[in-house]
Amino acid sequence: MEQPPSWGPGPATGGRTPPHPVRLRVADDRRRSRLTVAFRLLLAIPHLIWVVFWSLGAFLAALAGWFAALATGRLPGALHRFLAAYVRYVTHLYAYLYLAANPYPGFAGDPGYPVDLEIDGPERQSRWKTAFRLVIAIPALLVMSALVGWPSASGGSSQQGQDGEWTSGGTAAGVAVLVAVLGWFASLVRGSMPPGFRDLVAYALRYGAQTSAYVLLLTDRYPSTDPFEPPPPQPTPSRPIRIVIEDDEGRRSRLTVLFRLPLAFPHLVWLALWTVVAVLAAFVNWLATLVTGRSPSALHRFLTRYLRYGVHVYAFLTLAANPFPGFTGEPFRYPVDLEVDGPDPQNRWVTGFRWILDVPAWLVSFAFTGLLFAVALLGWFASLATGRMPVGFRNAAAYVIRYWAQTSGYGFLVLTDRYPYSGPSERRVEPEPAELPPGAPEPGTRLAPA
Amino acid sequence: MRRPSAGGLVALVVLLAAAAAWVVVALLLWRTRVPSDLTLPHLDERDYFTAAELRDAHEYERVVRLLLLGSLATTLVVLALYAWRGARFLRESAAGPIGSGMLLAMLGLALVWLSLLPFGLLELWWQRRHGLSEAGYGDLVVGGWLALGGEFVGLSLAILIVMGFARLLPRFWWIPGAAVFVGISALGAFVYPYLGAGDRLEDPTLLAAADRLEREDRLPDIRIDVATVSTETTAPNAEAAGMGPSRRIILWDTILDGRFADDQVVVVIAHELGHHASEHIPKGVAWYALFAFPGAWLIARTTRRRGGMREPAAVPLALLVFVGLQIVALPAFTAIGRHMEAEADWVALETTDDPDAARELFEGFSTSLLAEPDPPAWTKAFVETHPTILERIAMVEAWEARRDR
Repeated sequence: MEQPPSWGPGPATGGRTPPHPVRLRVADDRRRSRLTVAFRLLLAIPHLIWVVFWSLGAFLAALAGWFAALATGRLPGALHRFLAAYVRYVTHLYAYLYLAANPYPGFAGDPGYPVDLEIDGPERQSRWKTAFRLVIAIPALLVMSALVGWPSASGGSSQQGQDGEWTSGGTAAGVAVLVAVLGWFASLVRGSMPPGFRDLVAYALRYGAQTSAYVLLLTDRYPSTDPFEPPPPQPTPSRPIRIVIEDDEGRRSRLTVLFRLPLAFPHLVWLALWTVVAVLAAFVNWLATLVTGRSPSALHRFLTRYLRYGVHVYAFLTLAANPFPGFTGEPFRYPVDLEVDGPDPQNRWVTGFRWILDVPAWLVSFAFTGLLFAVALLGWFASLATGRMPVGFRNAAAYVIRYWAQTSGYGFLVLTDRYPYSGPSERRVEPEPAELPPGAPEPGTRLAPA
Repeated sequence: MRRPSAGGLVALVVLLAAAAAWVVVALLLWRTRVPSDLTLPHLDERDYFTAAELRDAHEYERVVRLLLLGSLATTLVVLALYAWRGARFLRESAAGPIGSGMLLAMLGLALVWLSLLPFGLLELWWQRRHGLSEAGYGDLVVGGWLALGGEFVGLSLAILIVMGFARLLPRFWWIPGAAVFVGISALGAFVYPYLGAGDRLEDPTLLAAADRLEREDRLPDIRIDVATVSTETTAPNAEAAGMGPSRRIILWDTILDGRFADDQVVVVIAHELGHHASEHIPKGVAWYALFAFPGAWLIARTTRRRGGMREPAAVPLALLVFVGLQIVALPAFTAIGRHMEAEADWVALETTDDPDAARELFEGFSTSLLAEPDPPAWTKAFVETHPTILERIAMVEAWEARRDR
């Protein structure tokens, strides 16, 4: 049987910053019980009722903790334990709802759930940061709403409204909600959660938990948007379409940042013109790949250039990169660059139904735009003020752009038959879960703590 | 004394021939339907406007002139500094030479916009204070910032043309370059009416009058549109646009808001038809061509020390030269504009045969726009693209005297 991967607190990026006091640990084997998946929302009803009461208590505790932290510069131990259990519980609940984990969670927020939190003990906190905590948290709350919907860890619940639109806590849903819906169908059919979906939800939950911990005064360390932190425990595999980021330490020219959108207009016009030609070329490429089982080299080169140019333009527009890009999609010239392998042989069946198969990926890519917009907008203000783009924002933007490139390369341009990977870090592809051996516990029962 | 070389002589002859051709074409374009022996009477503005109206206009225009001088000086200073240090922004580009040239041109324009923003805000405040504008400050800042995007697209295209030709023909890029710009200008003048989103004029009285005026001017049926601008400004205006089949007249809705009587609006329509009857739009393109070629040549000459227009580092200097040339040529541009407007006024008087309506219209313009009837000469030279209000009234008087003679 496959060993479940375990993501522990890895080394921070470059070893320059200590690990975040709130860390997500994933010890999930992706197996899902079809029965509990089918009725997951209904099964969660007791939790959804319970979380409302606990949220009320957490609100009062946080209020008391705010006064205490202002006075003493530290959250009292009892309050810290209570609020940490609350944040942990909400993370378990959302992991269960969003299908990032399989077993039914406990009601006490005890450690040991397959998607769990490690939360450091009380530390000294800046009184200034404590005094203005809610105001300072606004950017993080915006990013969180783009990721997990709003609110995440304050008692909100996912529900389907009368108009059929999925909402979370009464407002617009984040990308994790859409992935959960798609993952619900996938889990029902396959009995396992796709790794990319699980990892994306885990990233969203980690960010939501860190934001909640920040708002509830468990730490004064700001949430990390960086999707590549902590780095995956296994070596990153080589995918046919991948992003290469040159570390510029976030340096940005304030002048080009101030006028970034107008400066991108010529590129957007050129990209639109190029897209017209690319659509025609992509159709020819699809036909040729269907017949020969491989994308013709000339078309592959042309469409790769087009895709790379799109990556450069979006990286420039969203401040993932600093310099003004060229107009030809030339490789190795831009700090956020695209590498595309091939042309490699492609499965004709996958090619034949490519545009249908790509629909879920396009939905996720569309849902990602909220995150991209949030980090670009917040990064714009940060870059104007400091002359630097926060690395977390830069990497989050690059993550979304990478997914868009993989989605376009798979479905629209037919450059590869490898499905886009929606998780943040590209890590070793796990094999499909093996059949359960006789006598093994049914999925859905509580697993031992990892 | 050194004897000139054969090549130098050829160049001199070509230059002289080009200058002669320039003068001949300019003289042809300068021809007008206004009688050459027409002498405008000297008028006293106090006979047409009250002391309060003159004082209001003077106070308003005084500040506007100060802002204009300030913005002109600021533009030149900013562009001079940018020409000196702007090339350092090359490090912000990962594009090739032409892409980097585009970036430098856009940043230059962005810096000018940024430095002129305080003047724009002050002018808007002044206009709002005098009830001439309804626009908000946020619209000016955010709208202007976004509008830069469109300007950047045009500017990038211009740089692509200039640098593209300069890389092919380093010394003579200005000939095909100017020709392409003239072509784009003609195309723009042709398609411009199709880009507007105005509604057709539906007033039967005005439409009947327009039909009669078109017959007088021997013009085909020309569509008249109404553009909604009253959400942003109270200033009355109209324009003639398009060439050939795209000819159109665009009336701002501020001229139809009841401040001007129908017979005055008919004069406005007659004036705009006069522009079409006198082929002012194609003539404007021709004038543009006359200035585009020598202007492009001067830019080519002045940027040689920076490697010519094939090098992106020359772009900041080219921007300075371009704007400097425009300021130097401003008196010529405004003179050409006034010349055409005077001809359109004359045609309108001929076709409407209604000098009273024309006189009242011009008086109404002065009070509506807070325009000084007789501004200082330098303002007229650098700013006024139309004859001054007093000159327009004087033409009415001269036309009337000539008719009654």
